[in-house]
Amino acid sequence: MSDRITLTLRAPLARPMSAGAIAPDRFAGLSSQEIAALELWDGRNRIALGDIFTVSGERATSVVLEGDLAQLHEVGTTMSAGSLEIKGSIGNALGARMSGGTITVQGSAGNDVGSAMAGGSIAIDGGAGDRVGGALPGASKGMTGGDIVVRGSAGQEAGARMRRGTLYCGSVGDSAGIGMIAGNLIVAGAIGSSVGNGNKRGSIVAFNGVHVPPTYAYACTYRPPHIPLMLLSLRARFGVVVDDAHLHGLYKRYSGDLAEIGKGEILEWQMA
Amino acid sequence: MDIRGVQIDDTFAEAFGMRGARIIITAKNEKWARESANKLTGFATSVIACKCEAAVERELTPNETPDGRPGISVLLFTMDSDSLPKRVIERIGQTVLTCVTTACFDGLRDSPDRIAIGKPLRTFGDGYQGSKMIDGIRYWRLPVMEGEFLIEETFGRAKGVGGGNFLILAENADAAFDAAEAAVDAIAGMPGVILPFPGGIVRSGSKVGAKKYKTMVASTNETFAPTLRAITKTELPEGVNSVLEIVLDGLDFRSIAKAMQVGIDAACRAGVHSITAGNYGGKLGPFHFYLRKIMSGDIEDAPKPDAPK
Repeated sequence: MSDRITLTLRAPLARPMSAGAIAPDRFAGLSSQEIAALELWDGRNRIALGDIFTVSGERATSVVLEGDLAQLHEVGTTMSAGSLEIKGSIGNALGARMSGGTITVQGSAGNDVGSAMAGGSIAIDGGAGDRVGGALPGASKGMTGGDIVVRGSAGQEAGARMRRGTLYCGSVGDSAGIGMIAGNLIVAGAIGSSVGNGNKRGSIVAFNGVHVPPTYAYACTYRPPHIPLMLLSLRARFGVVVDDAHLHGLYKRYSGDLAEIGKGEILEWQMA
Repeated sequence: MDIRGVQIDDTFAEAFGMRGARIIITAKNEKWARESANKLTGFATSVIACKCEAAVERELTPNETPDGRPGISVLLFTMDSDSLPKRVIERIGQTVLTCVTTACFDGLRDSPDRIAIGKPLRTFGDGYQGSKMIDGIRYWRLPVMEGEFLIEETFGRAKGVGGGNFLILAENADAAFDAAEAAVDAIAGMPGVILPFPGGIVRSGSKVGAKKYKTMVASTNETFAPTLRAITKTELPEGVNSVLEIVLDGLDFRSIAKAMQVGIDAACRAGVHSITAGNYGGKLGPFHFYLRKIMSGDIEDAPKPDAPK
């Protein structure tokens, strides 16, 4: 048994591969040979994990991935426990449908990070693609629990149809929070157009201005009591830099989407 | 045994099982957290007539509270499990929900025994309330005229100990008062323990029932009343003219024992004749705080009784 398992990419990937087998909880009872024998998908063909990674360590739930992994997709899907540390960038569908454990990425991630995740956490030092915390294609719900932190920029439809959990992004593209059912989307920087369309009960927090859709109505300017709870949690758990002015500052509250049930909100921080 | 010339009687304080909750009140500043806490803990000296016993446990710095604001920690105890949520709900509903800038949190999050507090209080929102799940904890946001009131959905319920006590027997009322104040000051802020009576001091120690009035649940403890020395079977030593009592409730035996140790030591000062304690011969409750053991530093002798259901 090792403290951790390290998978090091043997050579840069020439084409996309699916690596759903890489999840810490699945490695817990496996020897290094058994881990190397796990199957990945190279297009329509099965290949052994050991063909593209060197495996160091065995029978641990702490896993480190090293190399340029931007073409490696579906890492950490359905994981339920353990820790996955990615030293570099990673491909699409990172942590999709995960229910527990932690994933950290020192680089950036592709599309569909944390898609339909139910628990655990994903922290990305760089940016992420479209649909962070969103839903699987055709599904009615995005993430239903857990936390995602994207310190850089996220693409379009961040937090789309999310049901529960917290998504923090440095900035987001268009249609962030579209169809939110509930949960929290916190954006430190720029927000694209059409934010929160179809939002039912979700909270969208904007520190740096937001173009409020016409289907939202201004309610008041006040201090939302749940904001410090969320921000202090992000600071404590993920080291997110939190400006004290955001903790107990004033926010404009817009209720919406009034084309839906109108119990959602956009909270726009106001500089004192 | 004596401490600085004050005799420590060879007796024990007898306490009983209770159920307790720790309520964290935060506010814009310490003043308003305390305003709310003072109201919440008002008229909560004794379960004999108040249905619960409550007091401020200690002040909390912004670093110690869930929302990063100044706070006050309150402990509230009842005699049984079922009445604890009733008392907590009615008091938070009337004294924290109504108090400007406050929010309310559970202070016993590790307790597996949960009671619904914010959940029933949410109905004050009349359907306009909303909830937030943060770090696995559900909070309710109630719209109010000021803005929003935030409260945790459930609070922890813990087995506690009620009725820890010691009596300060002094040469005169001033000496008893000074010693009691010193004891309260020494105990103030100790975790897991409260002094539910006004200022932490009791001047009207009672006995169970009454000799003359059969409907009375409790009546004056004439054996410690100096004005009755000449006409009753007194327990007052010669030279004692005033007695004050410190009553302690706590989340566990050890917290109370440590507080008694600190308080008794502070009370041993000029003008104090002796320190004793109230008990009913072991018939009232399973928690026995032997004064001499406590003052010898032995505070580990906790029994393992089951609190009342």
